[in-house]
Amino acid sequence: MKLIITDIKDFNIPIQEEHKIISPQGDIRNCIGCFGCWVKTPGKCVIHDGYEETGIDMSKCTEMILISECCYGSVSPFVKAVQDRALSYIHPDFVIRKGEMHHKRRYENVISISAYFYGDNITETEKETARNIIEANADNYCGLVKNVQFYKTVKELEDITL
Amino acid sequence: MKIALINGSPKVNNSASGVILEDLKYYISEKAEILDIDFHKSVVSEEQLKILNSAEAWVFAYPLYVDGIPSHLLSCLVQLEKARLQNHNIHIYGIVNCGFYEGIQAEFALKILQNWCIKAGFTWGGGIGIGGGGCLSMMPKTKYGQGPKAPIHKALELITDKIIRHETQENNYVSVAFPRFLYKMAAEMGWRQLIKYNGGKAKDLKKQWK
Ligand SMILES: Cc1cc2nc3c(=O)[nH]c(=O)nc-3n(C[C@H](O)[C@H](O)[C@H](O)COP(=O)(O)O)c2cc1C
Repeated sequence: MKLIITDIKDFNIPIQEEHKIISPQGDIRNCIGCFGCWVKTPGKCVIHDGYEETGIDMSKCTEMILISECCYGSVSPFVKAVQDRALSYIHPDFVIRKGEMHHKRRYENVISISAYFYGDNITETEKETARNIIEANADNYCGLVKNVQFYKTVKELEDITL
Repeated sequence: MKIALINGSPKVNNSASGVILEDLKYYISEKAEILDIDFHKSVVSEEQLKILNSAEAWVFAYPLYVDGIPSHLLSCLVQLEKARLQNHNIHIYGIVNCGFYEGIQAEFALKILQNWCIKAGFTWGGGIGIGGGGCLSMMPKTKYGQGPKAPIHKALELITDKIIRHETQENNYVSVAFPRFLYKMAAEMGWRQLIKYNGGKAKDLKKQWK
């Protein structure tokens, strides 16, 4: 399954395979740092606003595709809120990988991540930050980076193949 | 000189960011007037904008979330960029704490703040990445410059000097002075205690949803 997380409300780029789209359909609440998704309802966020199961969705996907405005090298607040609220995809215990601390896996699936950033004035430094963060995400999810691309407008994005 | 200390953790109480800012105050308070600002939610109030506009330096303390900045704080930054404050002589400093042991893992969360400075028209003053942040709010108060927080205190002392002088520093990455394997063990014991406290079992920590 392909999991698409985007801040584009009326997202209508065709996707061939089985997929799920998480886009702004109703307000999203931000993570409050309570770790309830690890120690109260392990695997699910404790805030019930329709965005609490992304950690589970991630366990069922082979590919995660982030389509987001680029904000200073980060994904946008909406996409970031979805990512923050999906902390429970990973297990709270630590492991050391390549000499650095990361979290253990909760699930076995290996996710390949693609990111399509848009914005009319994305600087070269922001692009570098964005690429670095997607790499770091892949390390933390114990997954892989497939593709990171930048576009000026949402319109330009319509030509991509997902 | 007025310095705004901004707590960017979504946690209202017991945040590591709060502990770090309290410790920073120990070094700054005699040299400048401190303005406390909380960014626990995704909106910056008019009142906060006014206070911020009167400060010469802003110090953001925030946690690392999924290799970046927590979403609510990112919303605040977008709002601040759009607010186009009149005072453009402001220096921005960042102190990111993370759950992992290595402070360097906060590198890109500092970079986001630095990139934001350019877009919002502020001057980047540098930052600190603190590893082992998970234990900061649980630690008893120690003497400044001693105990597991010693490397953090040293970094705070150094950045204070830069803030007061309106200077910029290279990012400084530190960890708590506590062996990594013990930090890992303590955290893992902590999760087991918490889940039991919530009425669950240790094995539920690894629950998989089908
Ligand atoms: C949603 C979420 C994501 C997190 N992501 C990371 C991460 O990528 N790397 C890391 O080292 N710690 C991560 N942490 C741990 C926090 O950075 C750590 O608990 C920190 O001490 C919290 O600081 P605060 O108390 O000031 O909010 C994450 C925590 C949460 C709740």
